[in-house]
Amino acid sequence: MKLVKPGSDLVGFPELFEQFQILLEDHQQVMELIADLGEKSGGEFIFDRKYLADTLNEMQNLILRMVKGVNLISSNRYLDLYSSIDRIFIPIEAELRGRLNLSRDMPYVVSLEEATPDRPELLGGKANSLTIIMQNLSLPVPPGFVITTRAWRRFLEDNHLEERIHGWLEAWAAGERDETESARQLQYSILAGVVPTEVAGEIRRHAEKGGGAWAVRSSAYGEDGEITFAGLHQSYLNVPPRGLLEAFKQVLASLFAPEALVYRQAMRMLGEEAAMAVLVQEMVASQVSGVVHTMDVSGLEPDCLVVYASWGLGRTVVEGSGGVDRYVVERDSPYRLRRQEIARKETLTRAAAGGGEEVAPVSGDAQEQASLSEETLQTLVHWALTLERYFKRPQEIEWALDESGHCWLLQSRGLQISKTISPAEQDICETCAGYPILIEKTGVVVHAGVGSGPVCMVQDDEGMNRFPEGAVLVAKYTAPWLARIVPKAAAIVAERGSAAGHLATIAREFRVPALVGVERASEILTEGMKVTVDTKQRIIYAGRVKELLQFELIQAMAFEDAPEFRLLRRLLTRIAPLYLTDPQEPDFTPEGCRTVHDVIRFIHEKAVAELMDLPRFVKRFKGVQIWTLVSDIPLGLKVIDLGGGVEAEIHGSKLFPEQIRSLPLKALWEGLSEPGVWSTEPVPVDFKGMMASLTKTVAATPGAAPAAGFNLAVINETYLNLHLHLGYHFNLIDARMDPEPHRNHIYFRFVGGVTDLTRRSRRSQFLAKVLSQYHFKVDTKGDLVVAKVLHLPPEDVKERLKILGRLIGFTRQLDIQLRHDDDIPEYAEAFLQQMLRSEPPDTGGKYESGEA
Amino acid sequence: MSPEKLRIMVLDDEPIVCKRLKPALEKLGYEVDAFTQSPEAMHQIQRISYDIVITDLKMKEIDGMQVLSEAKKRHPGTEVIVITGFATMETAKQSLQMGVFDFIAKPFKLSEIQEVVNRAAAKIRGSKP
Repeated sequence: MKLVKPGSDLVGFPELFEQFQILLEDHQQVMELIADLGEKSGGEFIFDRKYLADTLNEMQNLILRMVKGVNLISSNRYLDLYSSIDRIFIPIEAELRGRLNLSRDMPYVVSLEEATPDRPELLGGKANSLTIIMQNLSLPVPPGFVITTRAWRRFLEDNHLEERIHGWLEAWAAGERDETESARQLQYSILAGVVPTEVAGEIRRHAEKGGGAWAVRSSAYGEDGEITFAGLHQSYLNVPPRGLLEAFKQVLASLFAPEALVYRQAMRMLGEEAAMAVLVQEMVASQVSGVVHTMDVSGLEPDCLVVYASWGLGRTVVEGSGGVDRYVVERDSPYRLRRQEIARKETLTRAAAGGGEEVAPVSGDAQEQASLSEETLQTLVHWALTLERYFKRPQEIEWALDESGHCWLLQSRGLQISKTISPAEQDICETCAGYPILIEKTGVVVHAGVGSGPVCMVQDDEGMNRFPEGAVLVAKYTAPWLARIVPKAAAIVAERGSAAGHLATIAREFRVPALVGVERASEILTEGMKVTVDTKQRIIYAGRVKELLQFELIQAMAFEDAPEFRLLRRLLTRIAPLYLTDPQEPDFTPEGCRTVHDVIRFIHEKAVAELMDLPRFVKRFKGVQIWTLVSDIPLGLKVIDLGGGVEAEIHGSKLFPEQIRSLPLKALWEGLSEPGVWSTEPVPVDFKGMMASLTKTVAATPGAAPAAGFNLAVINETYLNLHLHLGYHFNLIDARMDPEPHRNHIYFRFVGGVTDLTRRSRRSQFLAKVLSQYHFKVDTKGDLVVAKVLHLPPEDVKERLKILGRLIGFTRQLDIQLRHDDDIPEYAEAFLQQMLRSEPPDTGGKYESGEA
Repeated sequence: MSPEKLRIMVLDDEPIVCKRLKPALEKLGYEVDAFTQSPEAMHQIQRISYDIVITDLKMKEIDGMQVLSEAKKRHPGTEVIVITGFATMETAKQSLQMGVFDFIAKPFKLSEIQEVVNRAAAKIRGSKP
């Protein structure tokens, strides 16, 4: 490519015009691909690796073209974007080839808070689950770090062990040696090895962050996944910092304990490479500890979960070395304690003074005493059901209660239910047919799964606060503000909304079965009614379909745990999140782009800014038709039509509102030009002064784009990009209004003002309040408001654009009026009331009739 | 629900397809055998007659077209549903001439394949006396 000095030459309008058009199209296509990938992670689609590779390839080609385009428009101002693309796509390609965990970029040691989840091949099964539990479910996990499988490989390499291990394993498999002898040789060679200096250094560095003693546990790859190695590998409790390296090697060596060898052979895993990560966590000095089974493994009480508890450290319960209390609690709300069996507890395990554990007698009174309070029991039950709901499989959970009475989650893994106690080969199809069906074959699947609970309708903040754990959320819209209660929901059913919106993303993140576009859901599903939502079949049953819930729980694998889904989720972390929201932030640069979404956002913003660059604009647009919109509203709006945005036969440079063909601009103008919108409230500034301030060209308001002091709309038939300087506000609206809902979006950005920051912040709170009511996802920061809404049908986009039009009028001078924080709700209410007067609310009659 | 369950074979060398389809179709009341190795599936077809065979087109060893013709030869009443990738779309269209019931392109929705299978089942049940 020819390198041109930035700013040296300007591209002529025809080329610029064409590039801008292509850029918009490409931007749209990338957005659609991102949405597609997001949807695929919901489980309704069946896809393979090839699909992922093809999609990513297509995405990369589009983005390369966009980078080329924005550089053409801007005379090569953004060549650094090429390295942004490399930075993002090289790891993506490595992921697709399945190579990443061998790469040198992978850490030897990583803290649990910072580890990337969905990477069991690096973290091992146990640590991977804990990372998810900590980061996604926010349950209290003792802090610590993981010595990764990469450290294990480095250990083998440096000690020249790979070949030898392989040889011994082969000799054993061939029957030349017995397992005791083989195990001894294998383990000895590991214990005699030296921990590589870099690995040891990293371990020390992480250990310094914590204080006191550590619990060191195995986290083998494959462990705690479909196959459980429960108890086969070693754990060391109460390890002092100086003992960490030794404990690390001991845990590595336990990979080749005789029982582990036999087990791996029986599971036919001997041929696969074994890999061991080691989990190191701060020691919990537990007064009580134990285990929860979310299902009764005896099969006698299938509707209950069972909590085991005893005094001291967990070994007593895990190894069954002493008396253990047993609590049987119903799985269904209100989680009644059905029975408790209090054992005589004569001994306990505790941390020994010099490190390690010791067994001690339990004092007389405590021997017969119940080890759990009602409150702790309820906490554990609540955690257990949350974990089961998330992992979609019965769980076996280890927990501890520390001396100050705080509960800690030590680990959670799939509970092995013996086939013999699984319900007899019932015909699930026939059983389900016995339950009444409330809703069938409607809606779009956001996340596949089955969830059951009482219906809870949520329409406002108050509704969110009373939303009970494990209820089925029923809503009119998938409004982004509902996100807070998603983790508590057993399932989500919405009448409207998109499978690609913010709430859908959150539902997938928390693996909550969700269905949108279910017409009349809020009529059919009434408050408190118990239902079972099966989004895999798109059926909602009346009542709790226990057999179906059980059927789902005992399937061999939850789709979320399939390698393809893990891969997709890892890819999505490099694709979908948007970090660059504010163009005024210092990191709004090519270097600041962390994801694909950031890159296209950056390019879009810069391409538009290029059009808005005033000095260039005048030069560049010489001879280009620019319309001036003529109306009573003194906006002085300039309009550039990219095609089909205005009526074909217009003479001169004047454009009248009725000549606008662009659907989004038309809708916005309709709102803005409604009677009373432009100047309803008397603003305490004289009319002349106000008009002056309205049409004034602002040189450089803090937070506004410099030298962009005029109002411009770039349009085509379905697209609008609008820049407004009103008073001292800077307002950007970017919208598409297409017949196809999945192509549509509205992006709204509002910043700046004439008053002090406090008042301007009040205005942004006002905007946030109003926009949330209309289901925008709103982010505010100081006086900046960024709001967006996606994938709505054209009539809904239209309605919202009209509202934005009115908001533009309403907020012109609003910061002057908002004198107190208390004024915010009042003004928001006033605005919403005004909306109500002029037309029925969006959740009103027109949707209830539904559209067949 | 008919007392006699229809038997379905699912064949795809991507394990994820088998793992997802088997329980989804079982829930609809079918009896499902899933295979990731085409020679194994071929062997099975020679032993048992399936009402419906769902097969990927492009596989290592024996490809979907061979499976299709073998299934039809053994048991003309078998309805075959072909799964295709984007690249094999042309072959898929050819397969229509070979008596394929329908084909479905990857990636597809669970509900789409369930719908196709239900249609095939209705046809089979309709043609049985």
